[in-house]
Amino acid sequence: MIKNRSPAVVRSKWFMPAFCLALGVVVLVASWLGGQLGSGVFGLVVMTAFGLVILLLTGRSETIRGLTTGRDERFAQIDLKATAVAGLALILTVIVAWLVEIARGHSGQPYDWLAAIAGLAYLAAVALFRWRG
Amino acid sequence: MKNQVRTLRTQRNLAQGQLAEAMGVSRQTINSIENERYTPSLPLALALARYFGVTVEVMFDDQEP
Repeated sequence: MIKNRSPAVVRSKWFMPAFCLALGVVVLVASWLGGQLGSGVFGLVVMTAFGLVILLLTGRSETIRGLTTGRDERFAQIDLKATAVAGLALILTVIVAWLVEIARGHSGQPYDWLAAIAGLAYLAAVALFRWRG
Repeated sequence: MKNQVRTLRTQRNLAQGQLAEAMGVSRQTINSIENERYTPSLPLALALARYFGVTVEVMFDDQEP
């Protein structure tokens, strides 16, 4: 193994299932507080099942392993591109939804705030990464 | 990018998994480099060249045919 070469990420195979379970519990509590316990239980079951599927597939698929327990420089690059695609899709959706709301004669909320946050986050990230070189 | 990774690896009777383990990357990454689908980072290129005892210029060819 070569040291100090790539920013490889190594996690326990239990990290992602535990994260799914924790998120399911948060959904359960939020739904319970909102008076929708049934939806919360459903959310917890779905998240737990998703975590179990990931746990079962981690040892069989290099792709799932890259998403869960560890990633090398190539997978980190794939992850970065996939994140950019997801972010772009989200931003485009927000902009379209904002325009639709305006065309309907509404204020455009909350899409105007979401678009502003996305734009400011992008500018801040560009400034930060440029400063860091 | 054209490279000599597969040639050098097979000359030493190494499996992709063995080279991957030595480099600290996945077997898929070595496979992608060999099939010219992925251009490795400079640190990984240097590590591969050092591992096989050749220069980076010998291992990787950035000249278009």
